[in-house]
Amino acid sequence: MRAKARFYPKEAARLLKERPGVREAVTGATLHFERNRLRAYAEVPIEEWRERAKAVKDHVLSHLDRYLEEAERRLLEKGVRVHWAEGPEEAHQVLLEIVRRRGVRRAVKAKSMLTEELGVNPFLESLGVEVFETDLGEYLIQLLKEPPSHIVGPAIHLSLEEIRRLFHERFGTPLEASPEALAGVARKVLREAFLTADLGISGANFLVAETGTLALMENEGNIRLSTSLPRVHVAFVGLEKLLPRLSDLALFLPLTARAATGQRLSTYVSLIGGPAKEGEEGPEEVHVVLVDHGRTALLADPEAWETLRCLRCGACLNACPVYRQTGGHPYGYVYSGPIGAVLDPGLLSLEEAYPLPYASTLCGACLEACPVKIPIPRLLLTWRHRAVAEGLAPGWEKAAMAAFRKVMESPALYRLFSKALRGLPLPQDLLPLLRAWTEGRGALRPSPKPFHELWREMEEDRGRQN
Amino acid sequence: MDARTRILSRVKRALKDRPKAELPGPLHPVPLPDPLELFLRRLEENGGEGRLMRREEVRSFLEALAQGFSGAALGRTLPLDLRPPLPELPPEEAPLGVSYALFAVAETGSVALSSEEGRKVHLLPPTHLVFVEADRVFGTLLEGLLSLEALPTALGLHSGPSKSADIGQVMVKGVHGPGRLLVAVLT
Repeated sequence: MRAKARFYPKEAARLLKERPGVREAVTGATLHFERNRLRAYAEVPIEEWRERAKAVKDHVLSHLDRYLEEAERRLLEKGVRVHWAEGPEEAHQVLLEIVRRRGVRRAVKAKSMLTEELGVNPFLESLGVEVFETDLGEYLIQLLKEPPSHIVGPAIHLSLEEIRRLFHERFGTPLEASPEALAGVARKVLREAFLTADLGISGANFLVAETGTLALMENEGNIRLSTSLPRVHVAFVGLEKLLPRLSDLALFLPLTARAATGQRLSTYVSLIGGPAKEGEEGPEEVHVVLVDHGRTALLADPEAWETLRCLRCGACLNACPVYRQTGGHPYGYVYSGPIGAVLDPGLLSLEEAYPLPYASTLCGACLEACPVKIPIPRLLLTWRHRAVAEGLAPGWEKAAMAAFRKVMESPALYRLFSKALRGLPLPQDLLPLLRAWTEGRGALRPSPKPFHELWREMEEDRGRQN
Repeated sequence: MDARTRILSRVKRALKDRPKAELPGPLHPVPLPDPLELFLRRLEENGGEGRLMRREEVRSFLEALAQGFSGAALGRTLPLDLRPPLPELPPEEAPLGVSYALFAVAETGSVALSSEEGRKVHLLPPTHLVFVEADRVFGTLLEGLLSLEALPTALGLHSGPSKSADIGQVMVKGVHGPGRLLVAVLT
């Protein structure tokens, strides 16, 4: 996927203006996820779970070479074909070889953020392969030719009305069709695809080194079908997906489910060990493609390496008051929201992802939600520091910060400016910066009294009461 | 130099001066007092339907169930006495799939299904009936996983009917997998 993260603020403003329904849809969906997560966290000793999960991941990451080699060995023993890919080029080569050798015409695909990074769909389509995204949400956005807006709910930015209109135009369903009826139409199209596809493509939630087992989580059954029916299954696995032991799944599967959707476990979990044995149903060929695409660079980063613990649960997106306003599209890369803001500069480059670490109020809700305690607020500051050090921040920002500092350091200046700002009518329509602010929000209204006066009055009140 | 060598050498270089984090010891299973009751409750909360069944009740249960279906797809390892009195159909056409779970997990309301009995039977028919022995119902996923001597080629954990809220946040059942999951725990 080509990154357009540079245009974040412009794209966010444009979306809020042109598609005002997105904010409502995304806010509704994320708050729903968030409520479910909170309930699910409260049911278990969540602090112990999170600490343990963090410790296991930190261990894996600090011994990653060993675990990669162990996983590869186990996979090979069971007849899985293992490939290593630096990025899209080598990943595409793996697909090209399979498509040519097996004469692949149709592929069914499970939702996978890594395959978004690698541009798997456009590549397969360029080879003349018909690709079906089979997760319902992912199928919707494939029809609309949009990228996913959320790691777990790729189509949360779409309202029921928009989906009804889409299906009306596409399949001739009535404009008032129920969600059940719409899902039924998609089911029919995709069932046919499952039964006729020659290739199934997936990502992976985890790869267990001890047993060479892929673990995949979902609710619809499309991943089970994509990895079971076609004769060839290719799983793209980021280097960071490793877990040491099978027993670790007993923590990581329920933890991920609770963080992502508030479920105790996702409706379906597939634990895949290799190609079907003689006489068994299942794919004849299973390929695992271990993909770097920026991960080793992140691993070498003295601070940002911690983002590699990420389970892709989307909990930080749901918790984020900034993400909720727009959904994922304006972030301009595969990963959006708080985790995108700290991961994308590492996976791409800070220059390419420059504005993203600023897409936050630093409120800290993401850290509280994160099942593996990635210090997102701290890393946002890390990237901001680096952006300033590398001269990426614009000149006016530097000047503004210098002026702000001057004012804040001098009580006299501070009082003067505070008074002036309250006293003068704000020329909001004249200042482009303020106009940009008020386009998507309410107008700025200064308090009639400064904070220190309000504070003094409150103290005096309290003094009188005692 | 191939991608594997390059990637592994970069990983090694990245970790050269990184302190090694210790691996926490393995989790120890804590058996729950009454996993059967919890299993049925959690399965129901997930949208599934579960019940306890004595072995001698199975025949009459299957006869009653068979009234509603024209045929069934059967798991390859399904014991003979658990087969419904219905014509056997391929999973692509069958309205009912019947299978026999490796184990069940109470805390998550899940049944574990092995690829040894096929895979389509678990996924294609709109209704899925699963039998599981009561002594194979564990409190936790950890106990279930540890109970296996070897993993099958593919193990599926099913914790309810197929569902999605991707269309306007409205929950729809039976999107790709079965819209009904029935579990009979054999006591």
